[in-house]
Amino acid sequence: MAQAALTIDGLSVDFAGFKAVNGVTMTVDDGELRVLLGANGAGKTTLMDLISGKTKSTDGRVYLHDTDITNWEEHKIARAGIGRKFQIPSVFKELTVRRNLEVASCRKPGVFANLRFGFGAEAERNVDEVLELIGLTEEQDRIAAYLSHGQTQWLELGLLITQNPKIILLDEPTAGMTQAETHKTSEIVNNLKGRHTIIVVEHDMAFVREIAERITVLHLGQVLAEGNVEQIENNPKVREAYLGSKGIS
Amino acid sequence: MPMKRRIDWAIYAAFVVLVMFLPLVMDAFWLNRVAKYLVFGMLGTAVALSWGYAGILNLGQGLFFGAGAYMLAMSLKLASTTSLQQGSDKPVPDFMLWNAEPGAPTELCCINKASFLWLPFQSQWFGVAMGLILPVVLATILGTIVFRKRISGVFVSIITLALVLLVRLVVIDSQPVTNGFNGLTDLGWFNIAGLEFDPYIVPTYYLVAVSLSLVLVGARLLIDTRAGLILQAVRDDQNRARYLGFDVPAYQTFFFAVSAAIAGFAGMLYVIVSEFASPTFMDLTFSITMVVWAAVGGRSSILGACIGAILINTISATVSETEGFAEAWKAIIGLIFVLVVLYLPRGLAGLAHDFIDRLLARKPAASPQPLRVSDASSQLAE
Repeated sequence: MAQAALTIDGLSVDFAGFKAVNGVTMTVDDGELRVLLGANGAGKTTLMDLISGKTKSTDGRVYLHDTDITNWEEHKIARAGIGRKFQIPSVFKELTVRRNLEVASCRKPGVFANLRFGFGAEAERNVDEVLELIGLTEEQDRIAAYLSHGQTQWLELGLLITQNPKIILLDEPTAGMTQAETHKTSEIVNNLKGRHTIIVVEHDMAFVREIAERITVLHLGQVLAEGNVEQIENNPKVREAYLGSKGIS
Repeated sequence: MPMKRRIDWAIYAAFVVLVMFLPLVMDAFWLNRVAKYLVFGMLGTAVALSWGYAGILNLGQGLFFGAGAYMLAMSLKLASTTSLQQGSDKPVPDFMLWNAEPGAPTELCCINKASFLWLPFQSQWFGVAMGLILPVVLATILGTIVFRKRISGVFVSIITLALVLLVRLVVIDSQPVTNGFNGLTDLGWFNIAGLEFDPYIVPTYYLVAVSLSLVLVGARLLIDTRAGLILQAVRDDQNRARYLGFDVPAYQTFFFAVSAAIAGFAGMLYVIVSEFASPTFMDLTFSITMVVWAAVGGRSSILGACIGAILINTISATVSETEGFAEAWKAIIGLIFVLVVLYLPRGLAGLAHDFIDRLLARKPAASPQPLRVSDASSQLAE
């Protein structure tokens, strides 16, 4: 049996009486790709915020392997091994594509440890590989602000790949993408399967079908169902809550 | 782009050489003036480092400049001949005697309640050390509080602005120790191993010129380090940097403190070339003027901001002394600023960079780049 990479135990957050996430318990295995599904306001992004430390939980625990990381500071959680991609693509806009990845390749977090020049041959090779993987080799000397929306999304994925965390949280990685871009994104994500544990929040069912193994459905801050694509598509509770009577379109 | 980097360093070298050769063509009066402008250039660099690279618009840089200036001025005040002629065998600043209570002993330790603070400043090097330490400590405390609390953008500017005005008020109000709004005047000369730095001699100019060169190169090297790159990443997107595992406030605080140290250093040099320290260093207008220098020169260029400061000061000196412009020179400086902000948002340095880019782009254009076919989807994306 695979080991649990991330264990969430009764996690809740209370925003002045409104429980955006209410007693969520789930386990994600090492190397698994888990999709979080749910309508707007179901608590998907909030759950990611809680895992990555952006929002502090009011109840429950989060474990990364055996380490209790509940309510740590964001950069400490990141260093412990959780990387995150935001819904709105965020990259370092005034740096070149290559520079962006170099920043992410930096293994030492402190200021004084980084008072030195260059990143080392190994880091540069790694950056080259990631550039290849996200298809931005040709654009490596462009300033990130001039990239297209899709390219910016891939660059942010590249930052995560370079950072090389154990767990990758992806918040709507295909938002605003064309079909061709979505397809390429699923290729990149599929490429990461096995090497990283991945949790994806996504609405786009075509994309979900391309990548998903297991799906957890959230509804009003609670876990509604869990299973593979087929089970979820045929689950009457899920159909009722989200998909309408016609099923997944 | 190693070629571009080489050009960059060549421009730095050219600037340093130019500054070093100025004494050959200038008289003592102008040399002293230029030395002051070089000090302002150093301030421009300090602003560029915090504003352009760290994204922290400090509207109170004068606080650090003033702190550096006062620390050295206290030492130089005690080294002046008047301080030695107040009837004690140890130096006592003249202004302390003017306001001393009847019967107070003419001793630095106890002529008034706070005069003992001056005691260690009898050593000039204590003043020099404090001129760096005080700005760094102030900046570290301020930075730690502000950046840990994730205060950013205009709120940092407002806090720094309020702080410089507060300190200015305290300095003016503490007449017995600071001589209030008169500031510290009638100073002795800075002295290294017997060489006295009269502001109107060539060695004093070189003290400033060499200091500026070292600061320029040091700051440039600093932003070329990994930490400098990460700092720029923090400037562009704090959150992204945080979720990559970087301790964002530590980076901001560190570079804020470096910028403060440079400003403090500039303050000390200014005291050496101008022979006074005054609360006007902490006027709001002065701090804002520094920001204007950096904006005109180019806030994301260490050298650009420095040249901006020197250029504006030279122009304002020349214009203000030209008959007919004597009244209008401030309007002319203002006009230059407005034009730069409107048409050169990256300042003169941005203009220079575009020019270099165009020159470099012309050369490889001879061999056309192979058509990209490998990556259809990235073209779709465009």
